[in-house]
Amino acid sequence: MTLPYHLVKVCGSIVFAAQGGDIHSFSSALQHISTWKYPAVQQADESKAPSAETEESPAPEGPPAKRRKVENGKDSVSNGQPKSKKNAQAMPKRPCALALTSDNNTILSADKFGDVYALPLLPTTTTTTTGSESAPSPLPSQPQSRSATPSTPTTTTTPAAGQTPPLFKSQANELTVHTKRNLRALENQKISLGRRALAEQLGANRPQFESTLLLGHVSMLTAICVGTVSVAGGKPREYILTADRDEHIRVSRAAPQAHVIEGFCLGHEEFVSRLCVAPGGKAEVLISGGGDDDLFVWDWVKGEVLGRAAVLEHVKGVAGQEEASKVAVTRVFACTWEGRTGVFVVVERVPALFHYDFLEDNTLQHRETIPLPANPLDVDLVEAAVAAPRLLVAVDTATSTSTEGRGSSLIALEKGEAGWRQSRVEDLPAGGDITMSTTELQKILYSTESLRKLSDFD
Amino acid sequence: MGGDKIKKDKRQKREEYRAAIRQEGVSELPRKKFYRQRAHANPFSDHQLIYPPSPDQMDWSSLFPHYVVDEPQDQQTPAPETSTSQDLAPLKVKRISKDVEVADIGCGFGGLLIALAPTMPDTLILGLEIRVSVTHFVEDRIKALRAQNDEAKLYRNVGVLRANTMKFLPNFFRKGQLSKIFICFPDPHFKARKHKQRIVSTTLNSEYAYVLRPGGIVYTITDVPNLHEWMVQHFDAHPSFERVPEEEQEADPCVAIMRTETEEGKKVERHKGEKHVALFRRLEDPAW
Repeated sequence: MTLPYHLVKVCGSIVFAAQGGDIHSFSSALQHISTWKYPAVQQADESKAPSAETEESPAPEGPPAKRRKVENGKDSVSNGQPKSKKNAQAMPKRPCALALTSDNNTILSADKFGDVYALPLLPTTTTTTTGSESAPSPLPSQPQSRSATPSTPTTTTTPAAGQTPPLFKSQANELTVHTKRNLRALENQKISLGRRALAEQLGANRPQFESTLLLGHVSMLTAICVGTVSVAGGKPREYILTADRDEHIRVSRAAPQAHVIEGFCLGHEEFVSRLCVAPGGKAEVLISGGGDDDLFVWDWVKGEVLGRAAVLEHVKGVAGQEEASKVAVTRVFACTWEGRTGVFVVVERVPALFHYDFLEDNTLQHRETIPLPANPLDVDLVEAAVAAPRLLVAVDTATSTSTEGRGSSLIALEKGEAGWRQSRVEDLPAGGDITMSTTELQKILYSTESLRKLSDFD
Repeated sequence: MGGDKIKKDKRQKREEYRAAIRQEGVSELPRKKFYRQRAHANPFSDHQLIYPPSPDQMDWSSLFPHYVVDEPQDQQTPAPETSTSQDLAPLKVKRISKDVEVADIGCGFGGLLIALAPTMPDTLILGLEIRVSVTHFVEDRIKALRAQNDEAKLYRNVGVLRANTMKFLPNFFRKGQLSKIFICFPDPHFKARKHKQRIVSTTLNSEYAYVLRPGGIVYTITDVPNLHEWMVQHFDAHPSFERVPEEEQEADPCVAIMRTETEEGKKVERHKGEKHVALFRRLEDPAW
């Protein structure tokens, strides 16, 4: 079977779409330009095919101008090979969400363990050899393992420093353990200390690049974004907004003051899975969605809820009153054309796109439900400059009920007078064939609902 | 089979005992042996917890019934509003006249709470504990003490909640609401693999800084030297905290209470262990 396209991202005039480990690039007229293949996927181990990190790490989000700099002067479009993998960065835990700081120099990686790391978009070594003027600010290199020594929010992991990691130290002593059995265990621990120390020295199993721990939740992180607020007579202030599975949206200052929590946006009663900051250019507004029946609109600077907009009721309109009882929002995407701001929402396993109007008074109003032939996975705006906005939607063709739904998994939506005109993007590059059962694939593609809390033990 | 029977008997006994002590009019102090629970809980799992979506929606009235403000009825009926703004309005909760200002994170069997209560009679003190049975014990203990000291009006300013503070501290407290946080004899989590579960870490300290007002103090005590070092290192490394000098530390009356009155403190005393104390002051946020 063929993998559907599951992520689309428009950077200036180039459209990127991910299909498993492959990233295809298209022109804004949706003509295929090139394909980058993730090496590991080609080695036929399909178990970890489509996941966020394989897509996003090699494709830095940024305008093409930026990309050209990354490519060290190569014109990214004319040579038809816009993507080359700049750096493979192994993280200590699986990253769940990524964001770029507003200066386009630092990647913020939010992981499954609740931590947010900052890593330079271009590793320092690369930038020094290419002589780039914008090298990330050099931080004091100081070896640290997260667990053994205090990790200050501005500590950098630079394994290249080559210093020996701190040895394991027994934490208990004869005064803190009392039972015979525990005392014996303590003895054994001391005996094995030497061996452990040796292992520590040998297996320096730490990430091979600079990373700075900025902040952390005790919960799985689900979304991260960067918000900027201008201050009268001062430098604009940058914030990091993080959302987790435990209903929190946290607002922290950006580095180097990421240890200061400015506030929380509290009100969700289920997991939060998606954040959309500054819709229509309103810097202080945040739209969040997750497992709740509604979308929330926040003034995230004040931590106040401005309004809510129903999702479930419109999902029921597509899936049926009885069938739909809960929603898992997977995309909230805002774009502006002709002075209007539209917010498009994707709900997991619902074959439609929900279109809301974001009004002047910061409310969200449902405008229409755009039915699709199959479940959408991602959406982005291809062209806003023209009068009629054009959206690109990636759909999971395997979920299509009709035969006409099969075929290309990229659909272009063009706003016409009689609603949205759908057209398939044809001539897609070959590839994306996998040996995986439909159920396995669905498990990977539809993972958001699994964030909901089910367990009911004490 | 025999083991099962014994277990069942034990559980039954516990339930009967607890039901009896919870009856109206009983003001007997609870006995710990009917409330024992394994000393560890996984802070990462989804316990069945009750917590408000936000501090504004927290109902404190059941914990501190003597501080409930009698609001005139007409004030509670809101003016006719549109349906949307009604949805937004937080659930009406009974207000109390004071805010909780002192939190004991991991209060255990509540020794510190009970000792602190008479020393700061005008401050609301809240114990937070993740273990269900232990929380029930403290609840019953407070109830009994309130009944026994009804005339002196003692122990009306302490309460206990079952909560996972590592996850849900900001659901209970607003920014800068607290003036003191006690972290007494926390689970040491000896294994390096479990260090993420420690109650003190650089990332969690940011949350303590959030709920503490500038000038507020975090009190820590442990009998594990390495954990003490860990806590000192992590708070020292956090830009929002500074260590309180020893002189000032020893002059603080809360430190003496923390040393002698916590249940763990007494146990360490019996085993002739060491007690390591460290206090940290919340600094003002830097300008930016």
